[in-house]
Amino acid sequence: MRYAGRALRSVLALPTLAWMVLFFLVPLGLIVVYSFATISLVTYDISYGWTVSNYRQIHDPLYFDTLTRSIFLSLTATIGCLLLGFPLAYFISRQPARWQRLLLVLVIVPFWSSFIVRTYAMVNLIDNGGPLEDVLHTLHVWSGPLNILYRPKGIALGIVYSYLPLMVLPIYVSLERIDYALIDAAGDLGANSRRTFRRVTLPLAMPGVAVGCIIVGIPALGEYVIPEILGGGKTLMLGNVITDQFLSVGDYPFGSAIAVALMAVMAAALVLARVVQRRAPV
Amino acid sequence: MRLRRHWFSGLIALAVIVFLWAPLVIVAINSVNSDTLLVSWKGFTTHWYSQAAHNGTVQSGVKQTMTIALGSTAISLVLAVTGALWWRRASPRARRTFDGLTYLRIMLPEVVFAVALFLLFSKIQFPLGTTAVVIGHVVWNSAYATLIIQARVATLDPALEDAASDLGANPWRVFRRVTLPGLLPGIVAAGLLAFTFSFDDVVTSYFLTGAGTAPLPVVLLSMIRFRITPEINAIGMLVMLFTVSMFAIGFIAVTQMGRGARKALALPEVRQ
Repeated sequence: MRYAGRALRSVLALPTLAWMVLFFLVPLGLIVVYSFATISLVTYDISYGWTVSNYRQIHDPLYFDTLTRSIFLSLTATIGCLLLGFPLAYFISRQPARWQRLLLVLVIVPFWSSFIVRTYAMVNLIDNGGPLEDVLHTLHVWSGPLNILYRPKGIALGIVYSYLPLMVLPIYVSLERIDYALIDAAGDLGANSRRTFRRVTLPLAMPGVAVGCIIVGIPALGEYVIPEILGGGKTLMLGNVITDQFLSVGDYPFGSAIAVALMAVMAAALVLARVVQRRAPV
Repeated sequence: MRLRRHWFSGLIALAVIVFLWAPLVIVAINSVNSDTLLVSWKGFTTHWYSQAAHNGTVQSGVKQTMTIALGSTAISLVLAVTGALWWRRASPRARRTFDGLTYLRIMLPEVVFAVALFLLFSKIQFPLGTTAVVIGHVVWNSAYATLIIQARVATLDPALEDAASDLGANPWRVFRRVTLPGLLPGIVAAGLLAFTFSFDDVVTSYFLTGAGTAPLPVVLLSMIRFRITPEINAIGMLVMLFTVSMFAIGFIAVTQMGRGARKALALPEVRQ
C-alpha cells in the first residue's frame, strides 16, 4: 500500500518532467549542437562538427557591438528600474494597508493591457514633439528636441517601462515584511532616519532587490519586441540578430551560437548575483 | 509628519505611476482620435473601433489567440497541479532541482527558448502552427502556474488528506474531495495568469506560428511594422477591457471560493 502510494506519487512528476525534457532541455541542447555546426547558405545543408567559426563570427564588430549594446542596455534598464522602483516600493510599503492595495493595483493594472500596444504607445509618448517632450520643456529640464525615439535611449526607456513591476513587486514584498520593531529599536538607540534606512531597512530589502535585478536584467538581455518597435527596425539588440538569423538569413548555426552566447552571459550574471548575495551582510 | 518623512519617495512614486499610465491614456485618447497621423487631436470618432471589428486578420487573430490561450492554460494547469503535488512530498534535493528548472524556464530570455523549439520542430519536421505554439506556451506558462499552485499546496494541511484516506477514501477520491477544493483558488489564479500571458505573447508565437493563422499579438506586430495604424489603439483598448474584466471576475471567484473551500473542509469536523 505504502509502496503503491510512493509509485503513484512519482507518476505525478511525469507530465511536467516529460514536457520539460522534450520541449525545453532537448531544444536547448540542440542549439548548443547547432552552434558548432556549419551551414551552406546556398543549399541549406547542415554539416555537424565541432567548429568554433560561428563563435569567431560573433567577434565581427557588427555583432560584437550588438552584444555589448545588449548588455549595456540591460544594465542601464535594470538600474533605471531600481532607481524608480525602489522609492515606489518603499513608499507603498509605508502606507496603511488599504492604500497599499490600491497603489499595488495602480502599478499592476497597466500590465493587463496588451504589451505590444503599450510599447507602440511609447512611440507616440517619446517622439519629438510628443507629450514627454512637452512635459520636460514645461519643467525646464530640457530644451530642444528630445531625440530618443529609434535610438538606444528610447529602447532603454521602453524596457524600464515594461519591466518596472517586476522590480517593484519583489522589493515591496521584502520591505513589507520588515518588522517595525527593528526600525523603532534603531531610532531608540539613537540612529537618525537616514542611518536607520541605510543600516536597517536597506540591508533587509536586499533579497528583494536581488530578485528584482535578476528577473529584470536577464530577460531584458534577450528583448526582441521593444527594440523592434522603439528601435525603428534596426538590429539594435541580440534578440533581433537571433531572429534575423533564423527567420530571414537562415543561418541556423550562427543564430544558435549567438543564442548560446546569450545563455553564457545569463549564466555569468547569475553566478555574479550569487557571489554578491553571499558577500552581502545578513 | 508621516507625509513629510516620505515626501521624496512619494514624489517619485507619483511620477512613476503617472509614467506607467501615460501610454495607456495615449492609447485611450488615440483610439477615438480622428487624426489619421495621430499627431494632434482632431475630434471624436468611433471609426477605428468599427475598422478593427471588421478587419478579417484581426478577427481570425482573436480566435487563434483564444484557442491557443485556452489550450495552453488547460495543459499548464494539469502539469502544474500534478507537479506541485509531487513536489510537496519530494526529497529536498529533488525539490531544489525541480525549482531550479521552474525558475530557469521563467528567466531564460524568451528568444533563446523560442529559437530552440523552432529548431527542434524544423529538425523533426513537426508542422508549425496552433499545436506548436500551444506546446511552446505551455513550457513557460506551466512554470508560472507551478509557482502559484506550489504556494497554495504549501498551505494545505496534510492531516486532512490523511484523515480522508484513513476513513477509507481511495487516492482519487481524496484528491477530488479534499485536495482539489483546497487548491481551487490557486488553480483559478494560476489559470488567469497563464491565460493572460499566453494571450499577450509575441515572441514564442512569432517563431512557432509558421505560415498559418497568426495570433493577435503577431498580427499587431506586423501592423505596427507596416505603418501607423490608429486601429491598433482601438484593439488595445478592447484587449485591456477584456483582461481587466476577466481579472475582476477571477478575483471575485477566488475570494468566494476561498470561503467556500474553507466551509467545505470545515464541514466534516462539524458533523463529527
